[in-house]
Amino acid sequence: MSNMKDDKNINITRRGILKAGAVAGLLTSSVGPFIRRARASEPIKLGILLPKSGTYSVQGEQGHNGATIAIDDIQGKVLGRPVELVWLDENGPQTTQQNMHKLIQEHKVVAVQGGISSGDVLAIMPVAEREKTLLMATGPNATEITGANCNRHTFRIDLPNYETVRSVYPSLSKNGKSWYFLYASYAWGIDGYKQMREVLLKDGGKVVGADQTPLGTTDFSSYILKLMAAKPDVVFLGIGGGDLTNFLKQFHQMGLTGKIPLSSLICNDTDFWAAGPEAASGVFPKIWNYTGSQNTSVSEQFIKKYQVKFGKPPESEAWQDWFGCTAILTAIKETGSTETNKLIEFLEGHKFKGYKEREMYFRSWDHQLIQPTLVAQVKPKITSKYDYFDIVAVAPPKDQPIETLYGSKAETECKLAPA
Amino acid sequence: MVDTTLFMSQLMNGLVLGFLFVLIAVGLSIIFGMLGLVNFAHGAFFALGAYLALTLRPYVGFSGVLFLSPILVGAIGLVVERLLLRPLYNKEPLLSLLLTFGLALFIQELLRTLWGAMGHPFDAPSFLAGFVHYGPVFVTRYRLAVLVITIVLLAAVWLFLEKTRYGRIVRAGSRDPEMVSMLGIDLKHVFMFIFGLGCLLAGAAGVLAAPLWSVVPSMAEQAIMPAFVVVVIGGLGSLRGAIVAGLMVGVSVAMTIQFWPVASTSIMYVLMIVVLLLRPRGLFGERWERFE
Repeated sequence: MSNMKDDKNINITRRGILKAGAVAGLLTSSVGPFIRRARASEPIKLGILLPKSGTYSVQGEQGHNGATIAIDDIQGKVLGRPVELVWLDENGPQTTQQNMHKLIQEHKVVAVQGGISSGDVLAIMPVAEREKTLLMATGPNATEITGANCNRHTFRIDLPNYETVRSVYPSLSKNGKSWYFLYASYAWGIDGYKQMREVLLKDGGKVVGADQTPLGTTDFSSYILKLMAAKPDVVFLGIGGGDLTNFLKQFHQMGLTGKIPLSSLICNDTDFWAAGPEAASGVFPKIWNYTGSQNTSVSEQFIKKYQVKFGKPPESEAWQDWFGCTAILTAIKETGSTETNKLIEFLEGHKFKGYKEREMYFRSWDHQLIQPTLVAQVKPKITSKYDYFDIVAVAPPKDQPIETLYGSKAETECKLAPA
Repeated sequence: MVDTTLFMSQLMNGLVLGFLFVLIAVGLSIIFGMLGLVNFAHGAFFALGAYLALTLRPYVGFSGVLFLSPILVGAIGLVVERLLLRPLYNKEPLLSLLLTFGLALFIQELLRTLWGAMGHPFDAPSFLAGFVHYGPVFVTRYRLAVLVITIVLLAAVWLFLEKTRYGRIVRAGSRDPEMVSMLGIDLKHVFMFIFGLGCLLAGAAGVLAAPLWSVVPSMAEQAIMPAFVVVVIGGLGSLRGAIVAGLMVGVSVAMTIQFWPVASTSIMYVLMIVVLLLRPRGLFGERWERFE
């Protein structure tokens, strides 16, 4: 059939493309100089790198939504200039790195926030350092981000695996000490397995099985058959997003929900909402939860605004990006500047009060946000479409120093280069 | 070492998984075989099947959506063929390829707009909850049902193509459209019907996969890759090839998870490379003048 192709038609298309190209060229050349001129009323741009597709796309949307609330909080303006968010896709280390360059060079952003996958964040951290741009890593959990690979331009909101495994371990070890691990085969999962195994072995526990799962796995049934055969006391996961949803559904269909205790390196509400109440079980470390008496009045206001704007409650990722954006905006406002060095110095010294029960701060020597962690248990009976968790503990307990679980300077292996 | 029980269970699980792959791939294979068209939107029709089931289930129940949803997706397929694809048959093949690619993105974005980016819970019907033990083999009742439904659907498609008059026209039209047209048979309607049938099968796969995997817009991407791999391994356009290839991929994935889990996603691509090196037209791909 291809021999009947219509030459005339293709010619027109080619000419059409040329025309379109010429118009585009004209547009860019006339708009170009206008962009280059800096003005007082010119917007302050903040870059966002969050997934728009794939395993973590749901978290990506929640994160972006959260950041827009932070902009609403300041009526869209700081230092008398409008604030604008530029959201580009986080989709694998290479694409994310390209988009980071694009944000800095084309969009001239003051700072970049976001990052769900630790692999992506580890890829853009050197760019932040080289381009001297502030990177507020809101969603990754690999320990090395504020550990062995830390750098001066990167701050991290989310919890390091080192901390989450230690916060949830006491709630899990009472079920027994023969554990099966299932974890994503990239930076986050691999680091998380290493961290939890260390804690378990030190406590006299045993690893009865450990499997790596490629990111984007849809069918876990073969993994589940394997772990059933190993008869573990606890199944500890290092998977998230759509992968966790799929796992929960299939774990449920094989009749294991509630039979084998389940936990994970971290948990996002949306993964559970998508799996449904029947498939949900387990005890998890959680950075934030929209219900529970631990929430401060600042948190409550955020929840209210989010619900009004988006029609459903915010989950952890929304809070993380809301706080990340708030931290950047606070730094810009308080220093009266968009200069990276000034912002970094401010963030290293500032105490954020009222956001959680205890005051939070970025540790000056590794840039990790020090904050309490929730230990969240799936409710025995879930009655609301969005309310899945009871907060059973806050780690560390109030009588212990807040840095207890984050590791000392020597343990984190972070060495920041001087300014 | 791995005991026999576990090995047998994995084998069985791989076969069931394989049938799911076959079901996703078979519509793609039929459309290619008959229309010579690579339908990039196949995964999107798969997702559409799941989403329609999600919306209609409260009204007609699971058994109801198992019929209704694929028929609706098939009907949408008919409209798409009539309005978008038919004008392109005599043009550059690249154009229809680009069209289906664009359509895939469009449908996925539509799903995101109408139902949101978030996943939706979708359980297996309660009468198919639980699991069965046959000796060493452990399998969930729902997966068993998927297996049975897939076999019934495949048998129906095969009987239709091989044993009916209409099926004979379809097969002849796929080999030599010009000759069939000269015999006075109107192929336009045949093509439209086949595209609709392919979409219907995609929709059915979507409904059946919904309780197993997540109902999210990205389920379209998750389905299209294995479907392509299965069709390529089996030989483009071969129904028999799609079945053998689907089962091969399913069992390989299950076995890789047992012995070398980290490679479980890449194994199907390895399989595809090996098959293509040994048999460039795929396992059951025949020499068709149209495609050479």
